[in-house]
Amino acid sequence: MSLTRDVDSRTDLDDVRRAAGGDTAAFERLYRAQLGRIHSLARRMVGEEDADDATQEIFIRAWNKLDTFRGDAAFGTWLHRLGINLLLGWRTSRGRDRERLRQDEVALDTAPARRPDTALRLDFESAIGRLPDGAREVFVLHDIEGFKHREIARMLGVTEGTTKAQLHRARMALRQYLER
Amino acid sequence: MTDPWTDRLSELVDGDLDAATAAAAEAHLTECAACAGIVADLRAVARRAQELRDREPVRDLWPGIAARVERHDAVTSLSRWKRLRKRRVVFSVPQLAAAGVALLAVSAGTVWLAIGGGGAPSPVPGTAPAVVVSAPPSLTLAGYEPAVRELELVLAEHRDRLDTATVRVIEASLATIDRAIAEAAAALEEDPANPYLTGHLATAMRRKLDVLQQAAALAATSS
Repeated sequence: MSLTRDVDSRTDLDDVRRAAGGDTAAFERLYRAQLGRIHSLARRMVGEEDADDATQEIFIRAWNKLDTFRGDAAFGTWLHRLGINLLLGWRTSRGRDRERLRQDEVALDTAPARRPDTALRLDFESAIGRLPDGAREVFVLHDIEGFKHREIARMLGVTEGTTKAQLHRARMALRQYLER
Repeated sequence: MTDPWTDRLSELVDGDLDAATAAAAEAHLTECAACAGIVADLRAVARRAQELRDREPVRDLWPGIAARVERHDAVTSLSRWKRLRKRRVVFSVPQLAAAGVALLAVSAGTVWLAIGGGGAPSPVPGTAPAVVVSAPPSLTLAGYEPAVRELELVLAEHRDRLDTATVRVIEASLATIDRAIAEAAAALEEDPANPYLTGHLATAMRRKLDVLQQAAALAATSS
């Protein structure tokens, strides 16, 4: 397992070097290897509708910044972090701002307390996509991506109290959509 | 009606409560079935989140990425080329300074010439006055060679995008111009003050830059 990861890492590093020199075939290999992870991240962070565009933007930005990749971390880790930074600015770059974080609280507070009708139930992943933007970001970063509240608060420019509250409300909303 | 513990239950699940508060919360759970049920749900949500599998998009996004990556490269090369076009270069070699009039005559409306002020860089005291030829593209001995080298680099990077017939025409043109430059430079060694030779050299140099600029732009924007 670890050996496989080391080999993957070396292969990635070779491809990063080639890609940084303008080799688009090497960059395509990196893209294919990371596509599922990055697209899933994008889909969960900005929603199904924008996921393809956001994924493309992440890879374009990575291509433009390849010369800054120093190999301290695995390429996948570097790309993932670059992706999160871009996705966090996605709403802002489209005219929406952090005010939504506060509005989300209202939206979640008014979410139905009962479990929805079985026929109308969404699968869990789709339900994440239906969360308000701020709660979705915190939930994805904390429960799926494994960041700590302190890190998320720094990324979002809010307090830890806010991220904890958003996470709790997201979980409370999502528990209705657990497949049982 | 709202249980005061409800809003702290995610923190309990995540181990974010201090020891005393966590102990109090756990004690509450033994008495409150509703909160105990919520805690079980919250744990299940967090566990479910960890189990999510990545999936790829329905359509392949690579063609769009590849097109933009290649366009970005072309734009980068083109930007470099445009920067070169705006570059001001200074003739500081005395014989060329002396031949400024010839340069003006040869350039005939496409190149303007200034000696000293009027927006031109001030000559270094004690040296021959600098002759500034400013027009896109501009010429100077100091900047000419780097400009040529950079354009040749851009052209080389994208040379494979041009068809062989075009490459042959470009190479033939450059070879002809290089011969003209070499002949004019050799003649100027014999007669440094000759205004005709100076003008001829300037024209040939300018022509070489023109050909390189056009070829580099063509290569950079070809697919």
